[in-house]
Amino acid sequence: MSEKPEFVMEREFDAPRELVWRAWTEPEFLARWYGPNVETVIHEFDLKPGGQWLHEMKMGENSHFVKIEFQEIQPPERISWLESGVDSNWNNAPNPMMPDWPGTLSTTVTFEDAGEKTNMRFVWAPHEATDAQVAAFVGAKDNLGGGWGSGFGIMDEILAELQA
Amino acid sequence: MTWRPGWRIPDLPGRLPLLSAFDGLFFSYYHMVMEHIGYISTAPNLDAIFAALADSTRRAILTRLSHGQASVNEIAEPFEISQPAVSKHLKVLERAGLVEREIDEQRRPAKLKADNLAAAVAWLTDFRELWNSSFDQLDVLLSEMKQINQQGEHGE
Repeated sequence: MSEKPEFVMEREFDAPRELVWRAWTEPEFLARWYGPNVETVIHEFDLKPGGQWLHEMKMGENSHFVKIEFQEIQPPERISWLESGVDSNWNNAPNPMMPDWPGTLSTTVTFEDAGEKTNMRFVWAPHEATDAQVAAFVGAKDNLGGGWGSGFGIMDEILAELQA
Repeated sequence: MTWRPGWRIPDLPGRLPLLSAFDGLFFSYYHMVMEHIGYISTAPNLDAIFAALADSTRRAILTRLSHGQASVNEIAEPFEISQPAVSKHLKVLERAGLVEREIDEQRRPAKLKADNLAAAVAWLTDFRELWNSSFDQLDVLLSEMKQINQQGEHGE
């Protein structure tokens, strides 16, 4: 697995690129849409290369913590960061349910100006991952990108069988 | 811009009830989805499942088994690979909990374990949907931002 696996999502937004950029880089906007619809606490947000975004998602008494370190910031075209699962002290920690899920993912988002609209390309890739972590990610991303192909076919057949 | 530590996002109006189906669930995308599909306490080994699914031959074997149980001979036939190679792939699938072998028959046919595969596929499907949900929320936010921008321009 020498080639770096990537999970890619592309989407058009009905807003000029400057607005889309603001929605991605200002914490009061990010908290509105980024991630699941739970209470969000942004403990730190320092938008510069090497700066940190410490993100807490709260659900009742439980919290999930993510540490983000910005890498490239090129308004309004491109932003990239490294995203790690962490414990409540912001120390790197494996996902309790998926120990082989990559500890750090690199996220790269690019925005293409399409007049009053913006085309976004979102890329996720494991960062400095072990073979097992890459395998876990590949298993996920192949399907996510549609490349898994037969996977859903198998499911259709299984479901048909179970309902028969 | 530097954000104040501990700054709390106010409960802004306009948050979508998009993920209301996940209310009461916790907490990362991955964890949430696994709770959603009811595997939080009896989780199959998703890491092993994904590693097993990362190989095209093994996926083809699963497709074959979705049509019904088959012996190693029968599985090997269309693949132009040796029976020992098929046995090896079957072991990986077996360890991942995607396949089981009959023990009481000499030909030891392999059989698909549909539940675990369903769990993995559900996890993957919802994972993508969760990202799309976020982007849907972004859509709504952007339309609000556009309106505010326009009002600002007209107001001046």
